[in-house]
Amino acid sequence: MNRLLFLLVAVSSAQVTYDHLLKADPKDWLTYQGAYDAKRHSLLKQIDTSNVRNLSAAWIYSIPGASRLESVPVVVDGVLYISQPNEVYALDGRSGRVIWEYRHQPALRKGPNRGVAVYGNKVYVGTPDAHLVALDARTGGLVWKAKLAEARDGYWSPAAPLAIKGKIIAGIAPGDHGLNGFLDAYDAETGERLWRWHAIPKPGEPGNETWAGDSWKTGGGDTWLTGSYDPALNLLYWGIGNPAPDFDGDVRKGDNLYTESMVALDADTGKLKWHFQFTPHDVHDWDAVEIPVLVDAPVNGETRKLLVQANRNGFYYVLDRTNGKFLHGSPFIKQMNWASGLTPEGRPIRVPGVEPSIQGTRTCPATSGATNWHSPAYSPETGLFYVSMMEGCGINYKSRDTFRPGGVSFMATGYVEDPEAPWQTYVRALELTTGKIRWEYRQVGSKRYGAGLLSTAGGLIFAGDDQGVFTALDAKTGKALWHFNTGRQITASPITYSYKGKQYIALAAGSNVVAFALQQ
Amino acid sequence: MDRLTVAMLVSAAAFAQDAEEGRVLYHRACTACHGQDGTAGDRGPALAARRRYLRTTEKDLFDSIKHGIAGTLMPASPLPDADVRKIVAYIRSLRSAAIDAPPLPGNVERGREVFQTKGRCQTCHMLNGQGGILGPDLSSIAQERSAAFLRDALTKPKPHAPLGYQPVTLVTNDGERIRGVLKNEHNFSLQVLDEAGKLRLLARDEIRGIEYSEQSLMPSAYDRTLSPDEFRDLMSFLTRQGRQTR
Repeated sequence: MNRLLFLLVAVSSAQVTYDHLLKADPKDWLTYQGAYDAKRHSLLKQIDTSNVRNLSAAWIYSIPGASRLESVPVVVDGVLYISQPNEVYALDGRSGRVIWEYRHQPALRKGPNRGVAVYGNKVYVGTPDAHLVALDARTGGLVWKAKLAEARDGYWSPAAPLAIKGKIIAGIAPGDHGLNGFLDAYDAETGERLWRWHAIPKPGEPGNETWAGDSWKTGGGDTWLTGSYDPALNLLYWGIGNPAPDFDGDVRKGDNLYTESMVALDADTGKLKWHFQFTPHDVHDWDAVEIPVLVDAPVNGETRKLLVQANRNGFYYVLDRTNGKFLHGSPFIKQMNWASGLTPEGRPIRVPGVEPSIQGTRTCPATSGATNWHSPAYSPETGLFYVSMMEGCGINYKSRDTFRPGGVSFMATGYVEDPEAPWQTYVRALELTTGKIRWEYRQVGSKRYGAGLLSTAGGLIFAGDDQGVFTALDAKTGKALWHFNTGRQITASPITYSYKGKQYIALAAGSNVVAFALQQ
Repeated sequence: MDRLTVAMLVSAAAFAQDAEEGRVLYHRACTACHGQDGTAGDRGPALAARRRYLRTTEKDLFDSIKHGIAGTLMPASPLPDADVRKIVAYIRSLRSAAIDAPPLPGNVERGREVFQTKGRCQTCHMLNGQGGILGPDLSSIAQERSAAFLRDALTKPKPHAPLGYQPVTLVTNDGERIRGVLKNEHNFSLQVLDEAGKLRLLARDEIRGIEYSEQSLMPSAYDRTLSPDEFRDLMSFLTRQGRQTR
């Protein structure tokens, strides 16, 4: 009897508290980005530049029916939680053995899914039928589900949710169908919705004047990638997606707020504190959802609270995250033809004529972007911001499209790779506040990005490519120190954790989850 | 032959006939904006380019020609429905694999001869087990590519050698010089098919130097080096290489 009582007490204590999330013990990987500041820099250093050559595969788990996973594992006390659309798996982080799996119904065929959140004793995941689902972290049992939006309207939820202070923050997709975006907060215990922030302002609200006529009604602006959070300022930072129709700006004249913006929301109320729009009136589908990385660093001799982002439009931005003020911006790509620079306020100076046309217009970077969903990293030890990115151009076309409800593409046509200039991916290291390129690593033969980066206190940057090669680079020089052929295109970001004194590096590659550790 | 197969063959023949008549109608009504053979015009999109199309179904294409596209320069056509359908068949044939489109004019057998002799195509290209290996196997090329693509391949300079066919010269640490085409590479290894037809598997740290030739080995002026008849026959031959769709 006494023994049973002990067990009951043990299981009712929460695994992951807000304090845990604030502290972000490096043995765990507790959020999509590892920590609220999204630096993706781990203090683990068992694996370092001197011994990384001895890194070997520890285990592989093949997710049934998966194709190209974009999910990033979350790890709590050695248990690794990873998702694919409609499914979540709990794996033993030491052996790769499955502990439980959850299958969501109805299983709509929409993807990808980019990961889960953990809070208390629950695991949270967004679903293709636009729900937020809470599972028991120990069993995979369904605890509650909350409807984000109507799946029959075409909405779905690919982003990993973010857990803060008893709330689960969840975003929505897709703006490309003319469905307006929002960001939601739910009570972590009950699933009750606490607030909703609408990405497209309604008539009478500030920002609605940036949409001609009724174009705001199908304006898009979705929230399909996880943001970051500053606990001291209590601000959530979230990148907002593209306006719709994507390639035809004539029918939505104006700046089209808050598409292509970084927004800072009060985490308690969901109220907008500030915004910064990277690409006003975008016509190239350059979603500004890329990860906002929070760093405190000196600018002109004064330590500032910064938010930095490598944007899909090709510019690297440094903002003051207390107020959204633009501090610096410069291209991190060499092939850029749509803007000649940025104004002192950070607004792009457009090159006339570089916009989609019926004939097709050469546009650099391509619509797929200089970078995209895969995560960058920042190392406080080198002071460098690392980005996995692509050089290349597209030919962009436009036409006239009509909004159709029910989740029908509302893009007004699209783009192709420029046949004259094949795409090429790189890892580039930028100086934090100047954006100057310190080194680059060309991924020979790779043209499709998708593999994010991990920085570790071992002086390493882990990177992947579209050929399935997973590589450890020297964070200071970009020199390749180790590599492993995972065999499948990598379109997810790596993580690290430790269990019983052993450091692991793990990532999804194709349909597999692969973990590495030093050979005994 | 079962009834379904007969019906499909009959409908394929009808499609080919419609597409051919559609081509004539298209060149009367559509080229001003959309260009010759769907390449590109001054005011309308290329209808047979490498891009995503908003309208791909028979119905969508029919509707946009019959009723025009609101908000654009595309007008409603005064042609009778039967003629509009023929134009639709032609546009769809532009986007389809060569084998599914109406046969091009020309003599297939004479085209085979050009392929084997004056064209010297077989030096590099395999055809049903006969030929070279430096270029792609063409045994079913008409199933994989459109006639327009094949015409471009024979007549237009290529800005880059295609993946898997880039000529390289490299020197190993032992001083061996290897010439061939690069089948694949990444930061740590290279796979090269050398001039002797041998696959060479190399780690990057085993080579001292590598020179990439941007120029494809594929000649690009067959419309000038062959007579018009020879070129027509070669196109006729190439666009029949593959199993007929059943």
